Amino acid sequence: MASTATTQTVEIGYGGNERLIMNMGPQHPSAHGVFRAILTLEGETVVAVDAVIGYLHRCHEKLAENLTYVQYPTIASKTDYVSAMTAELAYVASVEKVGKIDVPKRAQYLRVLVAELQRIASHCLWLGTWCMDMGGALGGGATIFLYAIRERELILDLFEALTGARLLYGFHQIGGVRYDVPAGWAERCRQTVDLIERRVAEYEAMLEGNAFFLVRTQGVGVVSRELALDVGVCGPLIRGSGVGYDVRRAEPYSSYQDFQFTVPVETAGDCFARYRVRMVEFRESIKIVRQVLDGLPEGPISSRPGVKSVGQVRIPKGEGYTRVEGARGELGCYVVADGGAKPYRLKWRGASFCNLAVLPHIIPGHKVADVVAIMGSVDPVFGEVDR
Amino acid sequence: MPPFVYHALVGFIVLNAVIGMVTYVTLLERKFAARMQSRIGPYYVGPHGLLQPIADAIKLMLKEDVVPTLADRWVYNLAPLVFLVPCILIFATIPFAPGLGVADLNIGVLFFLAVSSLEIVGLFMGGWGSNNKYALLSAMRAVNQIISYDLPFIFAALVPVVLAGSLQMSAIVEAQRGLWFVGAWYVLGPLAFLAFLVATLAAENRVPFDILEAESELVAGFRVEYSGMKFSLIMLGEYAHMIGTSFLGALLFLGGWLGPGPEWLGPVWFLLKALFVFLVVTWVRWSFVRIRVDQILAISWKLLLPLTLLLLMVTAFLVAWSAGGA
Amino acid sequence: MARNGSFLGETVQLVGAVGRAMGMTLRNFFRRPVTVNYPTVKRVYPDRFRGILALTYDKDTGEENCIGCRLCEFICPPQVIKVEMLKAEKRNWAKTFTLELYACEFCELCVQVCPTDAIIMLKTFDLATADRREMLLDKDRLHALGLQHEPSWATGNRLRDMQAPPKVAKDPGKAEAKEPAE
Repeated sequence: MASTATTQTVEIGYGGNERLIMNMGPQHPSAHGVFRAILTLEGETVVAVDAVIGYLHRCHEKLAENLTYVQYPTIASKTDYVSAMTAELAYVASVEKVGKIDVPKRAQYLRVLVAELQRIASHCLWLGTWCMDMGGALGGGATIFLYAIRERELILDLFEALTGARLLYGFHQIGGVRYDVPAGWAERCRQTVDLIERRVAEYEAMLEGNAFFLVRTQGVGVVSRELALDVGVCGPLIRGSGVGYDVRRAEPYSSYQDFQFTVPVETAGDCFARYRVRMVEFRESIKIVRQVLDGLPEGPISSRPGVKSVGQVRIPKGEGYTRVEGARGELGCYVVADGGAKPYRLKWRGASFCNLAVLPHIIPGHKVADVVAIMGSVDPVFGEVDR
Repeated sequence: MPPFVYHALVGFIVLNAVIGMVTYVTLLERKFAARMQSRIGPYYVGPHGLLQPIADAIKLMLKEDVVPTLADRWVYNLAPLVFLVPCILIFATIPFAPGLGVADLNIGVLFFLAVSSLEIVGLFMGGWGSNNKYALLSAMRAVNQIISYDLPFIFAALVPVVLAGSLQMSAIVEAQRGLWFVGAWYVLGPLAFLAFLVATLAAENRVPFDILEAESELVAGFRVEYSGMKFSLIMLGEYAHMIGTSFLGALLFLGGWLGPGPEWLGPVWFLLKALFVFLVVTWVRWSFVRIRVDQILAISWKLLLPLTLLLLMVTAFLVAWSAGGA
Repeated sequence: MARNGSFLGETVQLVGAVGRAMGMTLRNFFRRPVTVNYPTVKRVYPDRFRGILALTYDKDTGEENCIGCRLCEFICPPQVIKVEMLKAEKRNWAKTFTLELYACEFCELCVQVCPTDAIIMLKTFDLATADRREMLLDKDRLHALGLQHEPSWATGNRLRDMQAPPKVAKDPGKAEAKEPAE
């Protein structure tokens, strides 16, 4: 499928329909990871996109066959490394579903709490990098990038006080979570979330109504409702195109049905619509965090005793698929268990992998400068694309 | 001493002063931008980063000079010079105080505007001679953009000329003794100043109009194949042009060396006003995302050019009416 | 860009938006920078910080805590720990203990499984070096590190206590002690 593109030598003549093949290579300031897009240009307009992925392939699925169920959650966070809590949750929830393992209520609420905090942090990173792509590393985009990273650092500080790590946590384990909330953390979490809500309002003030921003994003990269359903995109991409599909509502997992939140849907389908969806998701996640903190029940944080040996968890024969709503869309994990301590087969359904499939349909017709705006609004993370 | 020697000496001093100022203006911009982004800028080299430009200059001088294999040698090597020379030449016409300047030509503003448009040649030479698709794309965009914005720039700069009735820079400053031109005719002056600032941003390839360098797409545009001393010449030229147009803006609109206090304080006021213009441009640069090249051209041809033309015509009418009429 | 209908309205809105954005940047100019001037100023690390690994001595007797059981070696996902056990009469020891810190994931699983709280993590990560061999920590180095820096809160027993379902139920009605499903 992804064959290496044949190299062509094209005369650079601009007198008419001469096409230029330009490589937006794996090393590129706005490739969001390692992504190669071979653009065919006519002047400034892109007429074709050939996407090449696989530069970050690290054999997750084969690795999982050699690591036991207690070892793999720390590795699972490295698929969607920007949104690590939801990635671990996908794996752990899948194994628990196959093994029919209960999770205590407190652990479920803690999982929701960290997943929503992680969603806020991931969207902070998205906003920063997207504006930086559009505004340049030495320009206005960098300003919003640094503001967004400043807010993300607050959440990472919270996670550091909770688990000890800032990016790849190892917080989940089969049957519950590994760490409980330390003293004073809930209060700190509330203050952080209040501050972030005010700062999000500041970002909106900087960007909305700003004609420079609007002309870059409105009408750019329109994903129609039919195209979205045909290609099978997920996450903010599909919610920006008029389909209100959110896994937290469609198949509630980990007690999401206990919480009140709305799922934002926009119909325009362009970059601006996806931006609006994510900005509303900021606020909805903050709402959920507050509800969890108010209603956190007492109880154990794991239904199984703490990990004492490497083969502690054995899952009987069976297979199953669980999906979670990651920051980028539906992240799913399909586990085939054979009774031992290691899975027989593991398959990841990466949200960004399916979202990237829409690029060859929406980019042609736009200018080169729009390519980065569209890539940013799709928000791929190549850990879950290439695994 | 013979006037030739006097002018050569002043020219030499001004050249050195300009180059020194340009290097320190980069530091000013970095610290200013850093504070706006909740961080501190260069801090460790020298007290509070004051020696950072020196360190950067030494590093650039020591770098290896790499020329791409298939580059057009003459074009590639000459481009930084062709870019730099007009950008420094514009300082020849700016008087820093009455009588203190290299050459206070009686067509000063015209000379400034004409020479500063020559940098586009160097820019395109750089893009073409680099044998690099990215550089070429950006050079094409640059030609488009700078040509489109030179016209509004010239018309906006002509508004003070019409108000003062002379192209000579010192005469324009003298005509602002009563009221600076930025406040002329209540609305005219501010609009002209605003148009001047926007055209400066675009003619200088600053965000939001920096599509030509667009780090996240074209990674430094036409400069991408330059390193070491040639790169520093290009950077020098860019910032010199930036400072030069800031001085021009301060001179045309903000009253040049006029300010409270004794006469010898004039150049200090001039410098402060030019830095103010520069900081406003920097402030805009660090606040906005950039816009696409077709939108940039649309702004120029559909918005800025008619606006500045209109301003110029209205200015001419008002000046003629107030002088000839009642 | 310029529309005929509401040109004035759009211009006013644009000016307002530009003013808002620039005002935000200017407001930030007067806020304190968030930079922490490392290495003159160090950040305060939280209690549970997962830093470099170290081996510990017993507080009372001063003996090494490690009994060479190799549980940490088996659980390590990237397999960076190698232990050799030395059998003795009263208790076992670790003959050699190597940890390849350059490949370590800092996942804290080894700390979690240790039955004697021998291996712990410290509240520091400062081990940058120009030679990779310095990051291949042997037993002496690990013990030395344990004495040099402040340890984190987490030890094996504390983590397992935190995670275990309560064995002695405070409220006899809520005794969900053992794992409900297997």
